[in-house]
Amino acid sequence: MTECTSDHCITCGDDGVPMSVLRIDEQRGLALCADDDGSKSTVEIALVEPVAPDDRVLVHAGVALVRL
Amino acid sequence: MKFVDEFRDADLGRVVATEILGAVEPGRHYKIMEVCGGHTHSIYKYGIDDLLPANVELVHGPGCPVCVIPMGRLDDGIAIARNPEVIFTCFGDMMRVPGSEGSLLEAKAEGADIRMVYSPLDALRIAKQNPDREVVFFAIGFETTAPSTALTLKRAKAEGVPNFSCVCNHVTIVPPLRALLDSPDLRLDGFVGPGHVSTVVGARPFHFIPADYGKPVVIAGFEPLDILQAIRMILGQLAAGRCEVENQYTRVVPYEGNQRALEVMAEVFELRPHFEWRGLGFISQSGLKLSEAYADYDAERRFSAPGVRVADPKACQCGEVLKGVIKPWECKVFGTACTPERPIGTCMVSSEGACAAYYNFGRFAREREVV
Repeated sequence: MTECTSDHCITCGDDGVPMSVLRIDEQRGLALCADDDGSKSTVEIALVEPVAPDDRVLVHAGVALVRL
Repeated sequence: MKFVDEFRDADLGRVVATEILGAVEPGRHYKIMEVCGGHTHSIYKYGIDDLLPANVELVHGPGCPVCVIPMGRLDDGIAIARNPEVIFTCFGDMMRVPGSEGSLLEAKAEGADIRMVYSPLDALRIAKQNPDREVVFFAIGFETTAPSTALTLKRAKAEGVPNFSCVCNHVTIVPPLRALLDSPDLRLDGFVGPGHVSTVVGARPFHFIPADYGKPVVIAGFEPLDILQAIRMILGQLAAGRCEVENQYTRVVPYEGNQRALEVMAEVFELRPHFEWRGLGFISQSGLKLSEAYADYDAERRFSAPGVRVADPKACQCGEVLKGVIKPWECKVFGTACTPERPIGTCMVSSEGACAAYYNFGRFAREREVV
């Protein structure tokens, strides 16, 4: 579970975090992504499929909303 | 960092600020509302208001999801969280919002099992790890966040996770904007449109603002140059006598939004006839509830909760702040009885709230002469 450690709550603040796709689990519809600081998290990719490793996506509340 | 550093370039910022100065008519006062709490946060974090001419006033809109949750809804959440079999999950800022008898954080201190999550998917994971407990997710947010809740509920249903449910407080952005535009309290010249809500809904839902009210809208990103450029574009429209929806945030926001997100929301949610907004009162068809197909996952059906309307504390003027009628520092309790450490009103809780943004970044009232 990720904690809100920045100076504001990124989920409440409608923030989108640009992340790079590292690996895709097609069966579960999830991707391992990393933000620009290298922090990794599992992201739901149902709304932006198909994506491939190295694609950039904007992630909010654990879901990729748009391919960048 | 690509797409970030370029939009924090101080020299370019000064160039756009100079263009803004050249675009305003001396003697005319401009009121521009930034709809999204994320914009409010950026404006005060980066001191964007200090770069604007004195006759360009930024008015903070209702786009902070925490700030608009009424006390009664929070009391319902706390009542559910106090059930011994429940693990109650919510986003971080929600923990500190005061209900009529304390916050979720205080309920947690008193023994309720309340956990902060970053995503509803985390809450679903907790449900799968604790099959003998009921896991409830307190869902808040506009159309940016609603798809995440919808996908999580779809996943819960597909995977057959019976001990997961959701208190749905999702809201939609257009009805409160229409309510504000219909309000006689406020005369606005234009809107900085919400960036990430628009990744989901696209630009089309905002066309009623120029069409019905004759005001420009510019959808904007969250970096300082994004916001400055959006203000420049709004002033450009006003100077040219135009009013339309423009998209400054084209690197992220597609005109049509995300159709798949809209489809999944339409499957999982339906509009409530009315939903109460803090400070704005009841607004028709502005809130979402779970559709009949997902009724089994509706925590409001699974648990009993008071379900009563609770008036805001008398001292709190969040309503006027949310409508942009007063500035945060004009509230009687701003920075004295109401601080981020001990908030009375929701606008002081989330740092996207106008009061907390002012408080945290030291932007207090100042007299500035009109150019």
